[in-house]
Amino acid sequence: MDFIRDYSLVLIFFILPIIFVLQPLLLDRIKNVDSKIDLSSLKRKKRLLYRQIKELEMEFDIGNVNKDDFEIARKDLKIEVSEVIATLNKK
Amino acid sequence: MNSNNKFMLMISGLVTIVIFWIGWVSSNPKDEKAMATFISVEDLINDKINKRTKLGGLVKNGSILISKTNYLDCSFILQEGAVELNVKYDRTRPDLFKDGAEVIVTGLYLDGVFYADELQTKCASKYEGDLRDESSYNLTEIEI
Amino acid sequence: MTPIAGGVALNLAFGFSILTIIVLFLYTRYGDERLFLTGQRLALGVSFFVFLATFILSYQLLISNFDIDYVARYTSLETPFIYKISALWAGQSGSLLFWLFILSIYATITILQNQSKHHTLMPWVIICLAIIQLFFLVLTNFITNPFMPTEAEFIVTNGNGLNPLLQNVTMAIHPPTLYLGYVGFSVPFAFAISALINKDTSPLWIQSIRRWTLVAWLFLSSGIILGGWWAYQELGWGGYWAWDPVENASFMPWLTATAFLHSIIIQEKKDMLRIWNMVLIILTFTLCIFGTFLTRSGVMSSVHSFTASSLGPIFLVFVFLILIVSFSIMYINRNDLKSKKRMESFTSRESGFLFNNLVFVVMCFSVFWGTLFPVISEAVRGTKITVGPPFFNQINIPIGLILLALTGIGPLLAWRKTGKQSLIKNFTFPILSGLIGASFFIFIGLKGTVVISFSLCVFVLATISKEFARGILARTKKFNETIITAFYRMISKNRSRYGGYIVHVGIVFMFVGFTGHAFDKEKEFSLKVGETDHVAGYEFTLLKMSESERPNHYAWISDIRVTDNKGAFVTNLYPEKRVYFHKNPDVNRRQPHSELDIYSTLNQDIYSIFSAVDTENSIAFIKIMVNPLVRWVWIGGYILVIGTMIALWPRKD
Repeated sequence: MDFIRDYSLVLIFFILPIIFVLQPLLLDRIKNVDSKIDLSSLKRKKRLLYRQIKELEMEFDIGNVNKDDFEIARKDLKIEVSEVIATLNKK
Repeated sequence: MNSNNKFMLMISGLVTIVIFWIGWVSSNPKDEKAMATFISVEDLINDKINKRTKLGGLVKNGSILISKTNYLDCSFILQEGAVELNVKYDRTRPDLFKDGAEVIVTGLYLDGVFYADELQTKCASKYEGDLRDESSYNLTEIEI
Repeated sequence: MTPIAGGVALNLAFGFSILTIIVLFLYTRYGDERLFLTGQRLALGVSFFVFLATFILSYQLLISNFDIDYVARYTSLETPFIYKISALWAGQSGSLLFWLFILSIYATITILQNQSKHHTLMPWVIICLAIIQLFFLVLTNFITNPFMPTEAEFIVTNGNGLNPLLQNVTMAIHPPTLYLGYVGFSVPFAFAISALINKDTSPLWIQSIRRWTLVAWLFLSSGIILGGWWAYQELGWGGYWAWDPVENASFMPWLTATAFLHSIIIQEKKDMLRIWNMVLIILTFTLCIFGTFLTRSGVMSSVHSFTASSLGPIFLVFVFLILIVSFSIMYINRNDLKSKKRMESFTSRESGFLFNNLVFVVMCFSVFWGTLFPVISEAVRGTKITVGPPFFNQINIPIGLILLALTGIGPLLAWRKTGKQSLIKNFTFPILSGLIGASFFIFIGLKGTVVISFSLCVFVLATISKEFARGILARTKKFNETIITAFYRMISKNRSRYGGYIVHVGIVFMFVGFTGHAFDKEKEFSLKVGETDHVAGYEFTLLKMSESERPNHYAWISDIRVTDNKGAFVTNLYPEKRVYFHKNPDVNRRQPHSELDIYSTLNQDIYSIFSAVDTENSIAFIKIMVNPLVRWVWIGGYILVIGTMIALWPRKD
């Protein structure tokens, strides 16, 4: 019994963690990570920009932003979103 | 000057005012009970300080005397090392106040007697280990 | 066997944390993705071993293995189950392990949540978190190890146990809640440092850490309020805040964190205040570590504590390292940080936020000053001068009132610049309400700061109602919704904003409670059965005094009838005087304790303490305190929590 317990402890404490940690080093060099990552962060940026546009519209409705500032800010945000969408469509 | 400089100026101005305000209160607190000098009993007796002071020490075994006419009134001897001092206190005594308790008293020294208006006890018992966490709340503080 | 496993787990965590830092650093230089994956897994390994160590220690506490010094010191066979668990954070080494445990939970969540996000930032985020873990691992491995065996020449059959006076539920939850707050700020801090190093100025990462910061803030706020509640209910001095160094240690990071929460809104919306925000998060995190230091080192409480701890200097060094390294990185990257936008007008929302930030930081500085005054005065003048509540109150009450005013003014300002017409339109109703309130308060006989405080409360509530009204009006006009639908949808679609306004309502209620403090009355007197005394318009009659022997203490119970000045019955109070360990032959080991009874209404709390009993003459010594408006502090606290939870409520997208 003790012998099973001791071996399982060694397994949990030493062997499994070391395997877990070293495993990625044994893979082939990973390519294409960057493009995968960029895609998801672009999508997040798009969502964020949409949300910002909506918030800006709400602030204008309440009266916290004057008309000129509102138009300029909204135009800027819309340009940014179009750029992001264009880049996304290319991928 | 442009708006950014105006802001910086305003902020620096405010910060200066605040620093002066804090400095002023530190030198002239409105309430006499705002500050107390923490010194050793020996220094207090030798220098006869008559500002508000804070002292720490032990309650001498057997020295606690409670008035027969007013249960709240008590006197005891505060020991710090070899030095002893008579202390009088007339408010509710903390639960842990007894022979050998570590206490902190705050008040005024007059004619050989220390008149305390604040008395705090620290449990000098087995629960030391870790003093400034929850167990240090054994400190019962009587507020003015 | 398993106690040794605990020590081994900590050793492995220590080793893995060093490896994490090295491997991830190599990744940042060579870019080999495999190094990143390994580094990530090493970091998860650190957390894994910390979890193991924590569970092992908890298990030892539960089975009362007194061969471990920590178990013997803080528990006994009689200790109830829940307090065997809470013993995990009762002592020095256990609480450091617990800090590490929470940090590891947060680190694990951060790593798992961001596997496909923030890829450029994550390596340095993990490195930062690993460095913090490493610090605590050094402490728990080499300086105060919780798995230290008991040093005794005999077999320890029972431990010291937990003082029954400390055995109440709030005592058990207050530290973990605070820790969840303190530790929580490590994550935003790590992200900020990483963004600095990566010269990342986009608002994407700010958005991610806003939730983290809010969660940590929620825990910190709750922890502070719980601490005040516990002090009020249990300690018997009738107050909830004493400006004690340990309390201040938790309040200071709260102030800078609140400032940070506000100013990152500006950075998200207007991309301004970048440098300021960086400073704030560094300060907040540093103050959290500093707070842990203040509480544990015995430096400030040198007035109270008599055990020197070697931990103090080490924490202080860590604090300085954090400050020096963080500010150096900031300085090196300062040109990338500078924002191109500028503040334009004093009557803009941006400047409102900026002023509110300034006030928070000023208050933090003043609390810091007062807390460290003894150390400063000793260094400068050679005498240690301690400061008490009157000092803190004199400085902080005006600052607090300014903050309250800003809470009302801010929301009424527009972005970039508020036109004169808008100013008049927005401010009329709140200012009028405030003035009407002021006249009313003066009319009923109040004076001075109290009037200012209550009037400002009215002003702020008027502002917040106006904000809700404006939002509802905009929706009903644009979308043709009913008022109720508009109200619900408005909050649902803008949870941060309206959750925040609700938090402000909670703060206003708390200020109402704080102001009540100005009218506190107390009296100490003695009563024989049948006698009456009076305080603040109430009469207190001792109806009877009884005694009771209970399992672990002896109690004298007083039955006090309270009537008002017209003779109408108000309530009965039953404060008790107890002696714990009453059967102990050593008189000095018996512990007296006053169990209070509080009658609480919205108007005031009647707080009764059975301070002493003269058994020979059957006289009870009673202290009565009448504390107006205290309940509002707790109500405000609940509202604050609700508001924060609304702000945190996740969205479907």
